[in-house]
Amino acid sequence: MSADRALVCHDLTVCYRKRPAVHHLDCALPCNGLVGVVGPNGAGKSTLLHAILGWLPLSGGSITWDGHAVETRRGVISWLAQRRTQDAGFPVDARTVVDSGRYAVRGAFAGFRDDDRAAVEAAMAEMHVAQFASRPFAELSGGQQQRVLIARALASGAQVLLLDEPLTGLDAPSADDLLRRLRDWAAGGRLVVAVIHDLAVVRAWCSEVLLLNRSAIACGPTAATMSEANLARCYGPPPEIGHHHG
Amino acid sequence: MADPALVASDPFVHRFLLRALAMAVLLGVAGGLVGCVLLLRRIVLMADSFSHALLPGIGLAYIWFGPGHAGLFAGAAVAGLGTALMSGLINRLTRLQEDAAFGSLFVLCLAGGVILLSRQAAPVDLLHYLFGNILGVTGADLWLVCATTCSTVIALALFYRPVLMDTFDPAFHRVSGGRSLATHLAVLAAVVLNLIAALQAVGIVLALGLFILPAATAYLWCERFGAMLLLSAIYGGLMSGAGLLLSWHLDLPSGACMVAALGSGFVVSLLASPRHGLLGRLLPTRRHFAHDDGPEDCATP
Repeated sequence: MSADRALVCHDLTVCYRKRPAVHHLDCALPCNGLVGVVGPNGAGKSTLLHAILGWLPLSGGSITWDGHAVETRRGVISWLAQRRTQDAGFPVDARTVVDSGRYAVRGAFAGFRDDDRAAVEAAMAEMHVAQFASRPFAELSGGQQQRVLIARALASGAQVLLLDEPLTGLDAPSADDLLRRLRDWAAGGRLVVAVIHDLAVVRAWCSEVLLLNRSAIACGPTAATMSEANLARCYGPPPEIGHHHG
Repeated sequence: MADPALVASDPFVHRFLLRALAMAVLLGVAGGLVGCVLLLRRIVLMADSFSHALLPGIGLAYIWFGPGHAGLFAGAAVAGLGTALMSGLINRLTRLQEDAAFGSLFVLCLAGGVILLSRQAAPVDLLHYLFGNILGVTGADLWLVCATTCSTVIALALFYRPVLMDTFDPAFHRVSGGRSLATHLAVLAAVVLNLIAALQAVGIVLALGLFILPAATAYLWCERFGAMLLLSAIYGGLMSGAGLLLSWHLDLPSGACMVAALGSGFVVSLLASPRHGLLGRLLPTRRHFAHDDGPEDCATP
């Protein structure tokens, strides 16, 4: 796996309900790391992720992964939503949820092969969910469910994982555990981009950060980028910017 | 009321009753399958709206083509699919959500259908479509139901993965390149076709019972989608048939008896299902704790 791969937004403008929610955004998010996307409410964080996923049309500019337009790399980008999009009461066990990551690769009709089973086992081992593989998904804790869903994304062969506020509803140990696993996974030449509101968490866990307020305020290594001056420009004075949610 | 001598006789010697029994079982199987998808996608009430929206199609077809079944079914299909399309358009082009659009359209359709049928047909015809008459089905009706049931079973077997993925997590299905909208429309089309198939047997008012009761019963017992589909289909087929035979012996309305038979197992499950029933919730169980491996094992290295 190349260490030079990056998700690059060039002069990106994306409109949401006919208004530019993100405009003239330039940033390069390198692989091998956990990238935090930080900004105030309405800064365009979710819009950016939706544009990367291809759910919103680009009004201008481009998004590339590994030098290719993301539209041609759909299989390598996966997603974990801010609010649970899964049906909590759906009768399914954890293994079947991870299996469904392979359904995305195999399509509707092709049989499950040995390499599919191997990919599922590897993803479950990587996220440490094998021990409750046969348990109903609905009965798992919030942290366990998140890990199963990430294992599903890994099983699908994703190289880029986008997460919109993945720590919502998790207690501190569960959040730390999830971030550790994401960081370890990304270290193998992959990329995790997560919208995170808690700036202390971003400082502690993210290798890179994108400060966003409609356009890129700053983008780069976390320590250097999250300066008081940049944060003030991102959130605007007065700089009451710590630990809020919403 | 039927002739008491006829009622007391062996039901399996009557050709019309065997036909009705086959139809009840087939409708129960297909209804059980479609009902699972409806229940898990939380669009049961939307299906109810569909069933009412079929009536103006039947009314117009009656006026234009007479009482022939092919015309009536075609009219119902056009009305059902038209309502789905209209609701989708209203949802996207106005402020109304899809459920409000469905709700508004279905009462309009029901009123329009009643007016049309009351002007053109004798009241008994109207009641026939509202409550069904499975004992009056013809061989052609049975073939239609057979084709619908087979299509439903085959379609669900072929598209099991997309249906599972889209019902469990439509966002991931979309990210993975799945066709979420196409899956949704295919589900709605299956609902309309199966409602039309059930129209003759149980009528517009009770048709939903064939869908929701087997599915809700299976949902109370199963922890896996595949098992839920299987149980719902088997239960739907068996209990629909049992309800029909019961109606024969007790000389009661057949459609209502089929739905009541399906409902009896539902009520028992509601009470007795060990994990999801009322008694299971009220009584302390050791099984649940024995199954648990801790409140949160996120500290696993």
